[in-house]
Amino acid sequence: MTPEWLLKNEAYTPRLDRDAFIDKSIRTFLSLLSRIRSRTGGAQRKAFIDARVKLVSLLLLILLTSLSHRLLFVGLCGTIVLVTLSLSRGEVILDILKTAFAVAGFTFVIFLPSIFWGNLVGAVMVTAKVLICVAVARFLSATTEWRTLTRALGAFRIPDLLILVLDVTLRYITLLGALSLDMLYALKLRSVGKNRDKTGSLSGIAGTIFLKSRVMAEDTYAAMECRCFTGTYRAGRLPALRLTDALVLAADVAFVCAFGFLGA
Amino acid sequence: MIHLRNVSYAYEGCEALCAIDLDISRGESVAFIGPNGSGKSTLLKLLNAIVLPDNGSYVFDGESVTRTSLKDQTFARSFHQRIGFLFQNPEAQLFCPSVEEEISFGPRQMGCAEEVVAGRIEDCLKLLDIAHLAKRPPWHLSGGEKRKVALASILALNPEVLVLDEPMNDLDPRTKRFLRELILSLHGAGKTIICATHDFRYVEGVFKRAVVFSEDHRIIREGAYDEVTSDEVFLASDNLI
Repeated sequence: MTPEWLLKNEAYTPRLDRDAFIDKSIRTFLSLLSRIRSRTGGAQRKAFIDARVKLVSLLLLILLTSLSHRLLFVGLCGTIVLVTLSLSRGEVILDILKTAFAVAGFTFVIFLPSIFWGNLVGAVMVTAKVLICVAVARFLSATTEWRTLTRALGAFRIPDLLILVLDVTLRYITLLGALSLDMLYALKLRSVGKNRDKTGSLSGIAGTIFLKSRVMAEDTYAAMECRCFTGTYRAGRLPALRLTDALVLAADVAFVCAFGFLGA
Repeated sequence: MIHLRNVSYAYEGCEALCAIDLDISRGESVAFIGPNGSGKSTLLKLLNAIVLPDNGSYVFDGESVTRTSLKDQTFARSFHQRIGFLFQNPEAQLFCPSVEEEISFGPRQMGCAEEVVAGRIEDCLKLLDIAHLAKRPPWHLSGGEKRKVALASILALNPEVLVLDEPMNDLDPRTKRFLRELILSLHGAGKTIICATHDFRYVEGVFKRAVVFSEDHRIIREGAYDEVTSDEVFLASDNLI
């Protein structure tokens, strides 16, 4: 039998409460999921440069920038990064530079005491190196589909099983992120008044996500076993390199030579 | 009570709703029918202001539901109290350590006295036939039980409109029959029922009106539920049977 209170409309005037944390959390998750989807969606244009070549170039640039003692060479690296960035879309450039300048700015602040002791060049050098390394790492992440990036690791003799673990991790970040977002929506919809235990609600969501991740991991393992998984996994291989990739590799060689002449 | 005019919505450039015009009166029971990906769930989210229209207008009981109006806490909370949403995946709605606390979450927020909260918990547990689960953590329940607990936690808020997203999914026949009877009695109690469904068999006699969505995210037909669901040629052409 339907209880009497359900038969009447509620005469309810909501009490005010601070609940910006739910909206902020929702925005954070939405932005995270949107970023992941844009880099794992598979609907992207065909990559202009192979992920393996990008990875080699990135590692070279970071290594040689870090090793160099000459401001001229670091300036050359900075120029290369700027030219590379200029090939991207405006919002990608902005996103990369925001992160890079934030990290470099923090580094500069840490080095402030050494500037007061007269080490201006050293502080500028380290800050510039951090700026370059972070910008180039963000560039790789922003312009390369993550799935191809994990495949590219195979070229560096990274075990296939580790590549599988990375792929599964990326997938579960998306799935659990979507579940977290739905739970935050549910919390928002039922937050119709004053919540005295906001942290309790959020920890409830975190706990549920933790339990869900455990169940999903067990299910995935069971599904893999059912498909004859015996502990070995062969990751898919990327296609052969093209002319553009060869040109980038040639530029890498030239870059190493430049390090020999200018940087060491 | 609910008026949508020329509403469109897209997820990151991917169209989900296109030029939706819809009116739902107080006390109606309406079924949204359509193939997978036709936009039913998105429309339900939009009715609950989880997403807001890119174009067009949404008016709930004479008040526009917009980003600006939802910034007004009094309006937003009153709106969310008046319209309850059962998600397609009820797991996402359960975040409290026990079923009892799950049901009491809403009434406590509304500032109800403890005896009123206790009364609502007891009534909801009885209504949903889940009294034996009161002390259990929601996480360890079966799919059907989770759905019942999620529904109980919404009913405890006593909303005027109940929005149900595929409520019969993954339920055994007995639970489906139970849920059908419950929806009928809630409708009898004056609640407006809006429900997205595929499961025609178990919702027979529950809905008066059907709104049919096409694969291109538009409403292609509205009419008496029995009339629409008995038009087999039309249902087959829209990938519904």
